[in-house]
Amino acid sequence: MEIEVKHLKKEFSYYKKMVGLSGSLHNLFHRETLTKEAVQDISFSVAKGEIIGLLGPNGAGKTTTLKMLSGILYPTSGQALVGGFIPWERKNAFKQRFSIVMGQKNQLWWDLPASDSFYLNKCIFNIDDQQYIRTIEELSELLEVKELMNVQVRRLSLGERMKMEILAALIHRPDILFLDEPTIGLDIVSQQKIRNFLRYYNEQKKTTIILTSHYMRDIEELCERAVIISQGQVVYDGMLSKINHLMGDKKVLTLKFTEDISIHQLTSFGKVRECKCREGILELPKEGLRKTMADILSCLPVEDFTVTEIPLEESIALIFKKEGAVL
Amino acid sequence: MNPYRCVFQMGIEKSLEYRTNFVLTMTSSIFPIMIQTIMWTYFYGHTDATVSTGYTYSQIMVYTLLATLVSQFVSTSFAWQINEDIKRGGLNKYLVRPVHYGAYQFCSFLGEKIPQLLLLLLVAVAVIFFSVTVFGLTLSGTRVFLFVISLLFALALNFFLFFTVALTSFWLTDVNHFFATISIVFVVISGGILPLDIFGQKAMLLTKLLPFGYTTQFPVNIINGRYNLQMVGIGFLCQLFWIVFFGLLSESLWKKGLRHYVAVGG
Repeated sequence: MEIEVKHLKKEFSYYKKMVGLSGSLHNLFHRETLTKEAVQDISFSVAKGEIIGLLGPNGAGKTTTLKMLSGILYPTSGQALVGGFIPWERKNAFKQRFSIVMGQKNQLWWDLPASDSFYLNKCIFNIDDQQYIRTIEELSELLEVKELMNVQVRRLSLGERMKMEILAALIHRPDILFLDEPTIGLDIVSQQKIRNFLRYYNEQKKTTIILTSHYMRDIEELCERAVIISQGQVVYDGMLSKINHLMGDKKVLTLKFTEDISIHQLTSFGKVRECKCREGILELPKEGLRKTMADILSCLPVEDFTVTEIPLEESIALIFKKEGAVL
Repeated sequence: MNPYRCVFQMGIEKSLEYRTNFVLTMTSSIFPIMIQTIMWTYFYGHTDATVSTGYTYSQIMVYTLLATLVSQFVSTSFAWQINEDIKRGGLNKYLVRPVHYGAYQFCSFLGEKIPQLLLLLLVAVAVIFFSVTVFGLTLSGTRVFLFVISLLFALALNFFLFFTVALTSFWLTDVNHFFATISIVFVVISGGILPLDIFGQKAMLLTKLLPFGYTTQFPVNIINGRYNLQMVGIGFLCQLFWIVFFGLLSESLWKKGLRHYVAVGG
């Protein structure tokens, strides 16, 4: 296994503060220290070349987990091996093998063109000139940023900057990559381009990737497997395609009618999600779907219909709710 | 290329990126000199300051002009950046790369300072010329050489001193005002405004025992001829001792601090 995580735990201590100025004044003299278990007991493993989605609501412990796996944070307890290294020992050989991209953090020099930061990374990771030129050529072409190499980073758009961040992270050709919300705040086109790039890169270089994102399209398009965290614990670890099974194997049937129908006409077939005039959405069990469909088509004035899986967001939201987390 | 040389070059590039800021930084180095000149000229013109300070007007002018230059030469402004890195999680990008944070900051600091230093050199030449012709300062090649060496040590010492102070951010979180206060106090107790021996022998002894005087007062006293060669030799040893002391202290604080580091933000 390329990444092995066993019973990883991280506690943070913080101060409680009452709202308002009086709370601040009170805090000057007396502070109540509280402990938060950001990550309670996480275990999972990732095979070489695999790309997994690390999912969870805000505050679930995803980023904290990635920070421990990249050696930024020491864990309170537990073990982890990334590429055979204990991350928080921060050995240079380990740093040569992985990279982390944080969507909300900037690693490029803000006042200089990105090419300067790339060159700095070349020097830091001791990459020979030929490989450096090849990597820059290839990645800048794939990410479509060739023309922007000599523009000050602060003058780039968010999407352009994120592409540069990804490029900077890949200059030393890491074989393990942690991506923490790499598409956050980007428009749909930029998101798609970054997804395409990551998929291509993973296929070509067999890079092991852990990806966190709140955009389900990122996860659906890139990952076959997901580890879902809620309140600092793993609540699901398995194939994305099986999540629906976990929720009771249901399908969503969207119907269009030739005339107005009422909700009562739909309730006998299954759970009604929506009903307005000539449209209705039903949730039906996969088992017996064919027969139910036939009944609906014979009883109701159906003009058109589509059958889809329950959206991944909903399944995952249900998993969170089951664990008592707030989405 | 060595990564630290690369950081050094990028520091130079960065400081040249904003021309107005660069020019203003330079211009601002002239103001303290003007203020000092006006203040001491008035003070010596209206009181018997030679008796109370032990310095003649020429001596005090030479001292304050040179001290202003030296304190600008060794001044640092990276402490707030380190505080921001620690407070807002910017440190992450250094921790995941095979690079030494202290060395990285030092080279970046030097790089950003070099253009300022080159211009400061022009001001220094003017000030020294003025001191020689108007105030009768006598110079020798040896003194100038020793002065330059002491300046380089002073620069390194001031870096480690402020780097050590900046690393308290691991425990104190938001200390920007503390840094501002510390900077002013350090300039005064390093002899950057006026010579501390005017406050008597005890103050002078304290200056010799503490590290601060070795960042400003010591180099100035080499060039203005107040220290003989033996005192200069002892001073160099003290500078080296404090550089090693703060180097080791900052390394230890760094290692301990990282265990406190919470790397906030996604």
